[in-house]
Amino acid sequence: MYEEISKNRVKTYFIIAFFLAFVAAIGYFIGIYIDYRYQVSSTYSVIIMVFALIIAVIISFASYYNSDKIVLGLTRAKPITREENPRVYYIVEGLSIAAGMPRPKIYVIDDSALNAFATGRNPEKSVIVFTRGLIENLDDQELKGVAAHELSHIKNYDILLGTIIVVLVGMITIISNILLRSFFFGGRRRSSRSSGGVLSLVLVAVGVILILLSPLIATIIRLAVSRNREYLADSSGAMLTRYPAGLASALRKISVQSKVKTANNATAHLFISNPVGKKTAGFFKNLFNTHPPVEERIKRLEQMSLGVGV
Amino acid sequence: MLPGIIILIVILVIIALVVIGVGVGYYNSIISIRNRVENAWHQIDVQLRKRYDLIPNLVETVKGYAAHEKETLQKVIEARNTAINAGTVKEQSNAENQITGTLKSLFALSERYPDLKADQHFSRLMEQLNGIESNIAYARQFYNDTVMKFNTRIETFPGNIFARIFNFKNRDYFEIEEESARGPVKVEF
Repeated sequence: MYEEISKNRVKTYFIIAFFLAFVAAIGYFIGIYIDYRYQVSSTYSVIIMVFALIIAVIISFASYYNSDKIVLGLTRAKPITREENPRVYYIVEGLSIAAGMPRPKIYVIDDSALNAFATGRNPEKSVIVFTRGLIENLDDQELKGVAAHELSHIKNYDILLGTIIVVLVGMITIISNILLRSFFFGGRRRSSRSSGGVLSLVLVAVGVILILLSPLIATIIRLAVSRNREYLADSSGAMLTRYPAGLASALRKISVQSKVKTANNATAHLFISNPVGKKTAGFFKNLFNTHPPVEERIKRLEQMSLGVGV
Repeated sequence: MLPGIIILIVILVIIALVVIGVGVGYYNSIISIRNRVENAWHQIDVQLRKRYDLIPNLVETVKGYAAHEKETLQKVIEARNTAINAGTVKEQSNAENQITGTLKSLFALSERYPDLKADQHFSRLMEQLNGIESNIAYARQFYNDTVMKFNTRIETFPGNIFARIFNFKNRDYFEIEEESARGPVKVEF
């Protein structure tokens, strides 16, 4: 357990560092591109790189401290009170006690789909989000299973990593989209002019390739951190409730109707089950899925339960 | 001759430092688990206090509808008072089992008084009590998990050596009496 936590910390720092390097590189290539396009020999590349780096550091800090709020805003989750829903409160509170951690805040997305996720920087500042459909359609044992799964994500510090990725990957995607457009629309006009040296041409090419690849890089980062964690959270969640069948039966219900309206590709990996409709099939489905197949997760839970209650 | 002895001494000192370092680390890990056991016990305590505070309210409410059921009400209060004064883990778990038992008879009582069952205040108290009961169960689970880790740590090598030197004792589990309370039992027909 503690090994997982430090592994996740390292991954978080690694991803932030990668993000900083990526943004700095993009800034540098933009500078070179400007030099190349306007046939000047300025220090734009260094200036823009430093500028980009400063912005990236600010974004990284902001996302470290505010990522949960950004995600809650993105998914339009609202807090609920103990009086409004004592059942959910007692379930989350009880399981937090069993896990020996503070009780997270509880938010609800007003959506009839069945899904849930957790976010926050650390267990003290964590939030568990359920959809209204989940609370209404699951019985106590099933809801306990889902809550325990999310609490395990919090305890493992998966939430910090997952939430920061939402912000940083979102930024990378936006930056690369803007740049791609400006390259494609602005790039042609300059072709008649003479070139400014082979080196800068190569650098511009590298820059373009980097930017072209960035959505793919972003996707790979997102995937690398999310699939195995789901199995881990399933099993440690089941340890918490001492009843794997509860989560297994919840997953069965969730898999039928997990499509959340306010979820998108940037936030998909946070949820307990894929909240975005499946677009890919076959080989690519397995390669690019943010979640392991539900059947496999249920199978593993059933093996854990040794036949009890399944 | 002389350089050989110096090298030997250096090696011995390094080995000694490593052994001491590992030993200190292990000792500290035992202490931190022991503190976690204390913390887990405190968690149970918090939940138990909540229940103690609730019981007089509950008894008062029931009294308003079923004043002549003195015996049952008396038993609940007695069980509560014993539990508050309990010292050791064993005494406490016995007392708690007693409370759970008497509360059950109190709830059974409410079945016979429709007015009581319909009382808003009573149903809210019941809801809170149920929530606290399940929290107690979870706190007990956390406590027992931590106790298991602590006991394993001081029974296995090299923890057992430290246990002998520093007189660490196995902790008691917080036991529950009834089989039915040991976890969700699903019965299918």
